[in-house]
Amino acid sequence: MGKATNIRIEQIDEYRWRIPKDSRPGMRVDGIIYADEKLMSHIRSEQAVEQVANVATLPGIVGASLAMPDIHWGYGFCIGGVAAMDIEAGGVVSPGGVGYDINCGVRLLRSDLDVEQVRPQMKALVDQLFRDIPCGVGVGGKFKFSDKELRKICLDGAKYLAEIDLADEDDLAATEAGGALSGADPDAVSSVAYRRGRDQCGTLGAGNHFVEVQSVEEIFDAHAAEAMGLVVGKICVMIHSGSRGFGYQVCDDAIKSLRKAPAQFGIDLPDRQLVCAPVDSAPGRRYLGAMRSAANYAWANRQLLAHLARKALAHHFKASVESLGLRQVYDVAHNIAKIEMHEVDGKPRKLCVHRKGATRAFGPGNEELSERYRQIGQPVLIPGDMGTASYVLVGTASAMRETFGSTCHGAGRVMSRKAAIRAAAGRRIDAELADAGIIARARGRSGLAEEQPDAYKDIHNVVDVVVSAGLARKVARLKPMGVIKG
Amino acid sequence: MTKHCRTFEHTADMGLEARADSLAEMFEAMGEGLADVICPRQSVKKQKTLQIQVESENVEALLVDFLAELLGLFNLEKFLVAGVKVKRIDETSVAAEVTGEPFDPARHELGDEIKAVTYHQLKVAREGDEWIGRVILDI
Repeated sequence: MGKATNIRIEQIDEYRWRIPKDSRPGMRVDGIIYADEKLMSHIRSEQAVEQVANVATLPGIVGASLAMPDIHWGYGFCIGGVAAMDIEAGGVVSPGGVGYDINCGVRLLRSDLDVEQVRPQMKALVDQLFRDIPCGVGVGGKFKFSDKELRKICLDGAKYLAEIDLADEDDLAATEAGGALSGADPDAVSSVAYRRGRDQCGTLGAGNHFVEVQSVEEIFDAHAAEAMGLVVGKICVMIHSGSRGFGYQVCDDAIKSLRKAPAQFGIDLPDRQLVCAPVDSAPGRRYLGAMRSAANYAWANRQLLAHLARKALAHHFKASVESLGLRQVYDVAHNIAKIEMHEVDGKPRKLCVHRKGATRAFGPGNEELSERYRQIGQPVLIPGDMGTASYVLVGTASAMRETFGSTCHGAGRVMSRKAAIRAAAGRRIDAELADAGIIARARGRSGLAEEQPDAYKDIHNVVDVVVSAGLARKVARLKPMGVIKG
Repeated sequence: MTKHCRTFEHTADMGLEARADSLAEMFEAMGEGLADVICPRQSVKKQKTLQIQVESENVEALLVDFLAELLGLFNLEKFLVAGVKVKRIDETSVAAEVTGEPFDPARHELGDEIKAVTYHQLKVAREGDEWIGRVILDI
């Protein structure tokens, strides 16, 4: 895959690797990659390492250009990257450091349903979810929003849906940022984005997005699991989606309008996809205003998807959502830029933290966490491939010190889509999954082939690295039982 | 007069590379290659013709903007492309005639969802007698 890197990489310890800042001209800080020897051997074969070095050249970057063990080759920034810029020191914000799917993220619902009760009905349940949740390329949803309503979604995200009874306080308290980032600017969003967003809020999309029915297989931390309502042998529902065409358009518009910004601000870029502007500048503020609008759209989207999933389960089991105990565990973003206070060289600094394919993992005691989680730390949701497992983790104090409170976001791809389709030739991925006890339904021509388990890194390996490095603690492992994809 | 387009591999996404005798044909091959990712062109009828015009600051940005315009036909109008004919092109502007038909879920099987046309490792160059274009699509 791509060209193997010839960049200098030094091993720091069992789980940390350094790209020294003198190994490429223009690097302002080191690059640090979290991986073990096994994951590193694949990472070296990709161009992602070059991308970690490229990000280290951006103005205002502090600490290091960080990469999580699920790192893989992206465009501009690598996937699995974290970069924090000091705003007062001229730090930049880059749309490429967030990605096109702004606030792509994961939501987890828990239930009181027993795995043994649900297993015999999995096929019918997956069919129900597949009927009720719009998915696939360009598929519109059941909810249509006027431009006026979309502007409210831009400003208030999932909170707006509470006004129209599609969200409740419990959901909002169990969502990163309460389901709405402040500082959104609906005027910074183009009319094209509004057009694309009208009928896509409440749709899953395609690619790696999914709704998965899972069972709680193992608990590692009883105290944290209790706070989250996770019990071995009970059913959960995991949702992975983002800001749909609305967010893609916001990013596309921003990259186009920022093309001349690097020259304007005297920034020399190694890759055009890294276009950026100082956070404290008119174009920087405009992008952040539009990005927050799209992030809030994504929280509304996952809220509507959760609403549809709850209704589908309630319909299937002929019971109320309340009686099934379908309470939200948490909702986290893994493609976002946020303004946060972190300690740098012993001093509190206001930073613009880019997480692209990385999850916030705030440790215990953080004031941004709701009361339910303040003592245990922030829940972190890590989906694996559809044949293996997903994990629930919690953030740690050492992640706050080392990675600006961030950890990995998933398994990370190892196989290109073309290679995955080649590997699936003559095979029935749905039948292979069914043999493993997993019911899968997909809308697209090649969806299941592209997303087959072998296309991803080993999720156990990825999670073991972040846990061993102290960037998160394990709470529970979830096992897939049924999945719908676009 | 030769032109062709192929996809190349990228871990998370997909690359498109086109080679042709002229810049106009390279843009046509790129446009048709993009259309094939959205929905294979053999299933799309040449029912309707649209005119598109794009201007940009340089030839690389022009390629990205041109492909983004074609992607927009599907995202905004649900229009599928069967053929692209460049009428006029220089390094900062292109005018093209696009033929195709509206998406019909009963007849058209869509391919991957393209989130955007990126600038990562973007290339437009003349090598010997050939024009080469390379873009990476975010899938």
